[in-house]
Amino acid sequence: MSDAVFKIDEGSRIVLTGQWSLRAAGNHFAVLQQQLAPYFSRPQMFWDLTTIEQLDSAAAALLLTGWGGQLSQRVSLRPEHESLFDSLQHAQSPRRALDEALIDDVVIHPGMLKSFVLHLADFITLTGLLTLEFLYLFRRPRDIPWKEISANVYKGGVLALPVTGLVGGMIGVAMSYLMALQLRKFGADIFIVNILGLAIIRELGPILMSVLVAGRSGSAMTAQIGVMRVTEEIDALATMGVSRTLRLILPKVVALTLIAPLLLFWTSLWALIGGMVVAFFQLGIGFEFFIEHLPRVVKATNLVLATIKGFTFGLTVALIACHFGLRVQPNTESLSNSTTSSVVTSITVVILLDALFAIATRSIGI
Amino acid sequence: MTADATTPVCEAINIWTQFGNTVIHKNLSMQVNSGEVLALVGGSGSGKTTLLRHIVGLTQPTRGEIRLFGENLQTLDRDGQKRVRNRFGMLFQQGALFSALSVFENIAFPLRELRQFDEATIHLLVMHKLALVELEPQHADLLPAQLSGGMIKRVGLARALSLEPELLVLDEPTAGLDPDRSENFVRLIKDLRIQLGLTVVFVTHDLDTLTSLADRVAVLADQHIVASCTIDELGSMTHPFVCNFFNGVKERLERFNKPNELIKHGK
Repeated sequence: MSDAVFKIDEGSRIVLTGQWSLRAAGNHFAVLQQQLAPYFSRPQMFWDLTTIEQLDSAAAALLLTGWGGQLSQRVSLRPEHESLFDSLQHAQSPRRALDEALIDDVVIHPGMLKSFVLHLADFITLTGLLTLEFLYLFRRPRDIPWKEISANVYKGGVLALPVTGLVGGMIGVAMSYLMALQLRKFGADIFIVNILGLAIIRELGPILMSVLVAGRSGSAMTAQIGVMRVTEEIDALATMGVSRTLRLILPKVVALTLIAPLLLFWTSLWALIGGMVVAFFQLGIGFEFFIEHLPRVVKATNLVLATIKGFTFGLTVALIACHFGLRVQPNTESLSNSTTSSVVTSITVVILLDALFAIATRSIGI
Repeated sequence: MTADATTPVCEAINIWTQFGNTVIHKNLSMQVNSGEVLALVGGSGSGKTTLLRHIVGLTQPTRGEIRLFGENLQTLDRDGQKRVRNRFGMLFQQGALFSALSVFENIAFPLRELRQFDEATIHLLVMHKLALVELEPQHADLLPAQLSGGMIKRVGLARALSLEPELLVLDEPTAGLDPDRSENFVRLIKDLRIQLGLTVVFVTHDLDTLTSLADRVAVLADQHIVASCTIDELGSMTHPFVCNFFNGVKERLERFNKPNELIKHGK
């Protein structure tokens, strides 16, 4: 057993010996190809493969490619190798250019508008299906998937408490600290309560909560539904006569919509606590005063507004997560794309909705 | 290279496997000789797949040693491991094709990893492997999700064969295929074995596959190999699992040996 070697006899005859196969550990075909390159192009070269020890398809393919895909009279083979070259010659087919394939793909999906319309259509279908399921549950309350809803409330709500609380608190501290420095310059210390109260309860709380929920629960939902599609679990459910909308989508949507306002108040609460603590140390505003003063400057309508926002954002995140989960194709690439899209779209849409809310409610509660 | 004709391609020496308190393999030893086709059979949960995973180095036995081509995969350095791993190909039960890559790219993957071939050669080799497993060139652009069960197995086999391995490891090669396709697949493996001079180890539940493909059968029961012999010799075994199992095999062997009569009856 020896590695693949070749030698030149009488100037025009090239003799290959040794193991021309991947099995010989010492072979490096790129090097061999480079060494052989000058002889491939020489038309008067005579190739002697009869003393070769072992020839596998890899080496044969390399030689055949070098000869331009054709076996000529100038190649002498052992009979047992002829079939190998034969099958290799038959396997030849025009090479596909990769770049062309890419361009084809672009042509098939013209523009983002079409994909947007497709998404919208799917989304509307999903909401329609959900509405039908709700109507069905009205008539058959026994079929309400309590267990799944409860599990989703626990996963998306209870388990999210630590992270939302922590992030809320930190944001409160940071905001209060910056505001305190500015307000002290103007001697308007007491306005810290107004600023924190309004900003956190009306704007920051809902946005923070939605971003965290989208990143935490939204991505998990998309991935879960996506994997269930990949492994055909959703189809299995369907064959058992279980509606996937009822058992998979509805519990997620209901649970997230229900817990979003609660999470929102939890996040806002910790943000206010963080702000209050900083206000005490930086500006000397006592906790008691802060708590007493807050309802006077932030009207109760703001809480109603925040609750509505909470419901809307929770519903949006859950719907978008399920929408992208159901669009996962059975491959890993699509799964990762969908999960990313789900989170990015949720956050974008939530911020868009928030802007709309801000404009629509500009004269309420301030 | 340490491998020559007398070194067993694969050798399991006193293997113990334990998951928590469950013992899967107890002092199990087995040997696969060069050029033979060995079937690994046993009841569900008897540790066949686990043993296969030990052999290809995906898992390690609790105690004992697996030698591939005379070398222990666990004690080799990275390059050595890669070298040994390139000498065998594995076909997974579900195919385990890379779902984001097309059929072409799946088969080309091991060749590209080698970094020894240019695109033209890779293309030729992939097309050759496709033809070898009897797939059409136009299938090259399909994604695994678009393939049928039988095609997935074929592509998996083509990928396993792309580095011209000496040892082919098959996990349930015909599971999930209809009898017709599974027969075709078995015939394909038999042909390839002759063409490429392969050593094959496979796990199966399917008695038809077993009788038509295997040279030798290793029966895994009671945590070790209770029998390792040709199918005919299984008849003289007294182990209850082997007896039970052999009854099923015997019927098939009779059919297998007298195919002409059956055809006459059928017509």
